[in-house]
Amino acid sequence: MLTNQKKIQHLYWRAGFGLDISELETQSKLAIKKAVNELFRKAKTPTLLKGNSERMDTATFNKLEKSEKKEVRKKGVQSMMELRTLWIKQMMRSDDPLLERMTLFWHGHFACTISFKSYNAESQNNTIRQHALGNFKEMVLAISKDVAMIRFLNNQQNRKNSPNENYARELMELFTIGRGNYTENDVKEAARAFTGWHSNGKDEFLFNERQHDFDSKTFMGKNGNFDGEDIIDIILEQKQTARFIATKVYRYFVNKNVNEKYVEQLTNVFYDSNYNIETLMRTVFESDWFYDRENVGTKIKSPIDLLVGTMKTLKVDFDSNKSVTFIQKVLGQELFHPPNVAGWEGGKAWIDNATLMIRLNLVNYLFQIADVNITMKPEFEALINRSTIKKIEGSLKMGEIIKTFKKKDNSVIFEEMKNWLIQPNLPLDKESLDDFLFNDNKKNYIESLAMRLMTLPEYQLC
Amino acid sequence: MNRRNFLRNTGLASATLFVPQFLSGYTNKGFTNNGKNLVVIQWSGGNDGLNTVVPFHNDLYYENRPNLAIKKSDVLKLNDELGFNPAMTGLKSLYDDGLVSIINNVGYPNPDRSHFRSMDIWHTASDSHEYWRTGWLGRYLDESCKDCDAHAALEIDDTLVLALKGQERSGFAVSNPIQLKQTTQNKFLKQIAHHHEHDHEENVAYLYKTLIDTQASANYLFDQSRIYKTKTTYPATGIGADLKKIAGLIMANTDTKIYYVNMGGFDTHSAQKGQQERLLKQYSEAITAFVEDLKGNEKLDDTLIMTFSEFGRRVKENASRGTDHGTANNVHFIGGKLKKPGIFNEAPNLSNLDHGDLIYSVDFRKIYASVLKNWLNVEPESVLKQKFKPLNLV
Repeated sequence: MLTNQKKIQHLYWRAGFGLDISELETQSKLAIKKAVNELFRKAKTPTLLKGNSERMDTATFNKLEKSEKKEVRKKGVQSMMELRTLWIKQMMRSDDPLLERMTLFWHGHFACTISFKSYNAESQNNTIRQHALGNFKEMVLAISKDVAMIRFLNNQQNRKNSPNENYARELMELFTIGRGNYTENDVKEAARAFTGWHSNGKDEFLFNERQHDFDSKTFMGKNGNFDGEDIIDIILEQKQTARFIATKVYRYFVNKNVNEKYVEQLTNVFYDSNYNIETLMRTVFESDWFYDRENVGTKIKSPIDLLVGTMKTLKVDFDSNKSVTFIQKVLGQELFHPPNVAGWEGGKAWIDNATLMIRLNLVNYLFQIADVNITMKPEFEALINRSTIKKIEGSLKMGEIIKTFKKKDNSVIFEEMKNWLIQPNLPLDKESLDDFLFNDNKKNYIESLAMRLMTLPEYQLC
Repeated sequence: MNRRNFLRNTGLASATLFVPQFLSGYTNKGFTNNGKNLVVIQWSGGNDGLNTVVPFHNDLYYENRPNLAIKKSDVLKLNDELGFNPAMTGLKSLYDDGLVSIINNVGYPNPDRSHFRSMDIWHTASDSHEYWRTGWLGRYLDESCKDCDAHAALEIDDTLVLALKGQERSGFAVSNPIQLKQTTQNKFLKQIAHHHEHDHEENVAYLYKTLIDTQASANYLFDQSRIYKTKTTYPATGIGADLKKIAGLIMANTDTKIYYVNMGGFDTHSAQKGQQERLLKQYSEAITAFVEDLKGNEKLDDTLIMTFSEFGRRVKENASRGTDHGTANNVHFIGGKLKKPGIFNEAPNLSNLDHGDLIYSVDFRKIYASVLKNWLNVEPESVLKQKFKPLNLV
């Protein structure tokens, strides 16, 4: 039987990025229902991501000389890095963790690579934020009109006389209904319906009438003068779409191993609510099964979970974007740069011998007691040598943690810190760690205990 | 916390002082492929194949490349049509010794000109409209190496490439066996791996297994890397150092059959000549030393080197004395047991282009199929998930 604290921590790990020590004090005594309500209440008005991306629209960009373009691209890559760091810090500090978590989830779902146009990245991210707990249809429609997505999946090249099927295909295969639930002909007809859904030189959505195919289409057994929105409506009429999304939600928020019964329950709720995402997510977090032992502490943290959670716990402040970028890259989850349109696979796929050692050592790097010395893979575009990261540049603040625990006995400190930092079951007694702890005063004891616990493989789970 | 005291008291940084009695996770189950080694060299950025294997007899080549074309008199001639870039003298003599096959016009249908995407396609061996999560060599491990040790396939690097990631099994990344050993064998990690009882929940068990296997392989590779001292002089370049490490492991009869290395810097959109020739020279010199070393130890017949890049480059040079992303490219095979050394197939056709790019005639997955079937002894279809007819390469 899990304690209320464990359950609250579970909720906050899955719906947010864990709890720092002061949040633990205030939240851990709340009833689940109340904590869930609070999360949704805070998410009512989405906080946007506000970078200071310099705006350089495509029309202006295209007029530049080659050398100027190169310069703009270089600056853009830099501001993408800043945007990633900004978002990560927002995830860490936000008073609205659910919205940040949902944004990250949909960011992986509507996977889209953006390499240097940071204002388009920011705008896409904010589109996702505005719909993250809203209506799924509205979100799909907004994404279909998103400039970065239109360019990434070649809808810009989708014209009446030479349709490009890329967006139409991925819309069905990855964003809505899933493979095996449409025909090749459906892809062709859907592509026709999305012809002319372009972006203009100012990087805004443009319905290009001259390039749109206004003729009749046959899609999923229906006939009509369909445009893109009609296609989305027809796809969402299929209950399979609700099932596809519910399955993905279950695998991400609950457990990689699907429980058919619960997924069917979520599918019904989602479909009957006319694709209301808040309703779907509430059902997840309010269900008793969400708090079953088999779902708690059994998810392998994504690199962003690990990074943000650790930053939150230890109040980490990185001196530069470099370290934040490095961690995302070597651990295999760089924001705005998914491996491909299918997004990040997650689970065991995060883990290989190299990523595991970096993960286990992450806090050792942060405490500056281990050197990093890792050479990154060559960048495709780079002509120079590969870069080696020697150490992580950043600082951490443990004052609050020390203040919370210093009056307590070591054995109590051990139990309480273990319960807070390690989400899965950890059959480890105090004595077996004692040899590795610094015991001359409370401060050192607490710091070294935090460090050791966060080096355990169990810390990789939430 | 006083960092130095802390280090001293906990033995974190002092792994080498303790050299603990090792509890081995490594099982030495071995392979079923007769001691053959595969070395894959990845050229990242898209190497310009036309200036690597130069069609010096083709007027179109000179017409398309007024600044970049390599003069007929400078080319290292391989036959009447094709010759190596002058930077590759070492590779030329290996070619003359019958140790090199050049496969021209390698690509795949509906080529993608993005580095990331095209490299993904080469790594996973998927069709260009499909997105696979595992690499072809990773799936080879899944298929025929379920019980092998973690170091069955090694990448000489700090991070692991997609090509080596499987569903159940993956390759192993190591750039420096000493550093790896220090990282993995620190007292605390050793203690928790072996003496701490942990839960048997699937993911917890998976993490512990990966940790223990990593420690075991790190220890094993550290020992193996100290056995062989080469007499061959390797060039002091990245690729030279990488191939030297691989040679050391091969000569020590290490239980590793696949090695993977990476060379970057081939994305030559401007001022291509100096950049590309520098890289080709490094490659050629390192390969020459490596082959000499292998030959001297009678390992050349058991070793196959395969070099590829994610795409070739546009036939026409651009305005910055460089070339832009293209499609089909050549692949190199180097080894002592090639079925058809020399130029394997027809030279690139520069008169029939698709939007200015070469049209492929050999699907790269046929090359993979040949390696899988004839070198690694596994049914290609089980790994590639489609039928590809192996070529008469090895």
